[in-house]
Amino acid sequence: MGVVLRNLQKVVPLRRARLRRDVDTLRHILGIQKFDLGVICVDNQRIQQINNTYRKKNVPTDVLSFPFHEDIRPGKLPCPLHRDELNLGDIFLGVEFVMKQCREESLDLHGALTVVTAHGICHLLGYRHETEEEWTEMLQRESYILSEYNRLTGRHLEPLMKRCSQDR
Amino acid sequence: MLKSVVRAVGAAVRISSATTSAARALPRSCPMLCAPSSATARPFTRSLWMLNNNGASSTYRPKLFSSKGLNPSVSCGCGGLHTEGDKAFGQFLSDEIKEEKKIQKNKTLPKMSGGWEVEMNGTEAKLTRNVSGEKVTVTFNVNNSIPPNFEEEVEQGQQKSAEEEPEIVSTPNFVVEVTKQATKHSLVFDCHFPEDEMGHGEGEEDSDIFAIREVSFQPEGESDWKETSYTLNTDSLDWALYDHLMDFLADRGVDNTFADELMELSTAIEHQEYIKFLEDLQGFVKCN
Repeated sequence: MGVVLRNLQKVVPLRRARLRRDVDTLRHILGIQKFDLGVICVDNQRIQQINNTYRKKNVPTDVLSFPFHEDIRPGKLPCPLHRDELNLGDIFLGVEFVMKQCREESLDLHGALTVVTAHGICHLLGYRHETEEEWTEMLQRESYILSEYNRLTGRHLEPLMKRCSQDR
Repeated sequence: MLKSVVRAVGAAVRISSATTSAARALPRSCPMLCAPSSATARPFTRSLWMLNNNGASSTYRPKLFSSKGLNPSVSCGCGGLHTEGDKAFGQFLSDEIKEEKKIQKNKTLPKMSGGWEVEMNGTEAKLTRNVSGEKVTVTFNVNNSIPPNFEEEVEQGQQKSAEEEPEIVSTPNFVVEVTKQATKHSLVFDCHFPEDEMGHGEGEEDSDIFAIREVSFQPEGESDWKETSYTLNTDSLDWALYDHLMDFLADRGVDNTFADELMELSTAIEHQEYIKFLEDLQGFVKCN
């Protein structure tokens, strides 16, 4: 399998091939190529709806992660027993939300989507940021992923956690 | 919704009238139907028509329609049959046309953004756009473009009001042809609107708005595709290649926004054609 990419919105013109390549690079850095991963691009309305349903937060956001495995620990990959459990879960990207941020901060959309996806994948791998300790641990992981990404691609992306609030 | 009810009623009427005719006609007409050997080979419906036809060569008239209830009640000199049923049918159609016209959003078709020229041929629409020396055409047919509606939830739950009823949306398969200058063949994309297994308007669907089903090269301007052209099926395709194909279409104006507008256009055309069909049907039944 691999990355299942879905574009359910029409607000933001996306380059699917670019997004897939960036996600594949992140998977390569994390050594999770054998796991399936869903990346679903949605608009503000849809991500707000999902955010409200699953987190009781009736606002749009940039990314929501839905891990496939329940007993995940940060830094430890799931140990699936069957082939169909080689799945990390789904990441919903609020591409409209991200695009608005990019416009405000004059950032490249696909660069920002890579940063947001890296954050989402960290959540699928068990990282959280509810406590100070967790926050630091996740920032370290994101920093490592993006420094590797920058080294491989020559870009200059920074972790989302740097400007991430505690309630994320 | 009204439309599906009309269609269902129409089907029911057809079935019931057929069974009624058969029940009444069979005992009397049996000798006639069985007598000439050639007649037995003919389909039953055809035989019935022959029996009713004034110009039938047989001198034996089984008087299939001789009962008072089935006598033509109106005569317009057209030589066709007119019954009380036809009259009721005509009235029904008249009411239905009024209702459909009431809910028709616009008399004119919605415009496609992006400089597409729209050309109609019956139920088939052709959109054309020229992009830097390339010609892009998109064709679709509104026939059979409305997916079946699932009514289980309405039946189980409380009755929904008219405003809550899901709108009928036409989601036709469409074909995109990209032709470059100085080439004799076009790159042809067979696209469709995927039907979600679980979604149906509840906001949980997870398919792309539209998807490519097949890709092949075809001779430019040929209406019949060559079966011998290699056809790339996307079911088992490398996803990276699929994404490049989708980006290729997006660069030529065929993206999610386009697909959404195509749905709107197709829905409007389908509704327009439906009303036109009802009007033709009304004219045919009334024999104006």
